[in-house]
Amino acid sequence: MRAVRGVLITCDSAVKQILLTLDERPGQSFIIEDLDEFHVLVRADEEQRVRRELEAELEKNTYSMEA
Amino acid sequence: MPTADGTTDDQQEHRLHALLPFLQTQSQTSLTRLYQRPSSCLSIFRLLGAVERQLVMNLLWLDLPIQTSTMSSWVTREGKALFDDALASLARLHFLSNNSAIKLGLSTTFKTSMRHAITGGGTSVSFGVPAEPDENRSAPSIDALDAYALERWETVLHYMVSSGTGQTPIKPSQGVLFLLQRSGLMAMNQGQLQITSSGFQFLLHTPHSQLWELLLQYLQMVEERQMDLVEVLSFLFMLSTMELGREYSIESLSDTQRAMLEDLRDYGLMWQRRASSRRFSPTRLATTLTSSLPPLPTATSTGGAKDQGFIVLETNYRLYAYTDNPLQTAVLNLFVTVKWRFPNLVVGAITRESVRKALLNGITADQIISYLTTYAHPQMRKNRPLLPVTVQDQIRLWELERNRIKTQEGFLYTAFASQADYEYVLNYARQLDVVLWENAAKRCFFGSVEGHTNIRGFIERRTGGSGG
Repeated sequence: MRAVRGVLITCDSAVKQILLTLDERPGQSFIIEDLDEFHVLVRADEEQRVRRELEAELEKNTYSMEA
Repeated sequence: MPTADGTTDDQQEHRLHALLPFLQTQSQTSLTRLYQRPSSCLSIFRLLGAVERQLVMNLLWLDLPIQTSTMSSWVTREGKALFDDALASLARLHFLSNNSAIKLGLSTTFKTSMRHAITGGGTSVSFGVPAEPDENRSAPSIDALDAYALERWETVLHYMVSSGTGQTPIKPSQGVLFLLQRSGLMAMNQGQLQITSSGFQFLLHTPHSQLWELLLQYLQMVEERQMDLVEVLSFLFMLSTMELGREYSIESLSDTQRAMLEDLRDYGLMWQRRASSRRFSPTRLATTLTSSLPPLPTATSTGGAKDQGFIVLETNYRLYAYTDNPLQTAVLNLFVTVKWRFPNLVVGAITRESVRKALLNGITADQIISYLTTYAHPQMRKNRPLLPVTVQDQIRLWELERNRIKTQEGFLYTAFASQADYEYVLNYARQLDVVLWENAAKRCFFGSVEGHTNIRGFIERRTGGSGG
């Protein structure tokens, strides 16, 4: 029996794919375990960084009408 | 008699006033002291919902309590829940005499005072003592009082809204600043007061609820300042029954109430010529405390005091706000991209960026929508629904977009020796209601932080037990 401390992220599958991609960047791995299609376990101290980077990644998918 | 006719107006009116929960937490002794003042009884009565008011009026002139069964036989079956709620709420306010399960009657103190309030008479000076007319100086006009109240109130709000923008608006008094900080609407940040997310939410409320929100905070602080809560409350209620434009004398006020004068002047609830003046005039903010009339005249000089609406929102996200009020412009700026400003018109658009900025500040989509609804231009009122559905939906979608992921801290329990082991521990965790995710195939589950100590203890006891 083992208990691993971490943060459970619940998300949709699209976001999970982005998280997996972010995790593959060299030296920035944060995923402890890939649980299932909608859940991943990540390191607690990385939560804020992951949120920021995910935000930045999602932001690339939008465009603005403002000139 | 109290029956529910489920019209929307009724339901809106039935929404509990913010002060009532506070009163209901007070002791019976304090409330009874408060009810010795007719003005307090009348004011609280005005804050009640329609059904409660109806019940009080029915009971008021009965000399003897009435059988509870008689009263409830007048209630239709659909109205039963409403009736019971109303009775419970009256009982919590200690309006009813104690044995309300069998017989219904108003408590003696409340009944006497309420009768006084309605019929006049009695020598209590709870409605305030008008000051003798001063031959040298005339009383301030209603316009002057309105202007004063508005200026005070907008100073506070304007200070809040521009605290993050680097502008330096006029500072409200120290007392107001302290109150804003205590209520969590503003917080110290790098030596400067900055508006907080609840502060942003506060800005979108109606003036009436803003005022009560601050006053409730004031009431919370009363005991720390060693003031008598009953005195404070009854003074507020006294103000709320006073006549706008009339001067009152401070002679009949207690020491506590005189000490409040300064605070209330700061909030714009009353006006005094000098701090040492023996008379005071309540402003519209004070006299409408317990009424449904708008507490502030509209700031715009257009004169239409009744309609507060000034916002036109189109399906193409364009927004036209007919206002020359810097405060309203600043509030709109929280969630609108302003394109043009004219002397009496602000044109902007609701964009993804502007809404995102608002969401980042802690404002919710519902608050934006309710602000737009509250201040919709009369022209918009013809529309059904009031706001374009596309815009409403999009604002909500933008909010959802920010919540793509949900994070919960905790522990992943894994590598169980056997299926039985796994199920045993999982069952225990389920009983604690701390399981956030589980997967039987992988034989692991995720529990919240709160449950960890218990689960660890459970496993240790178990392994210890099986070992020994």
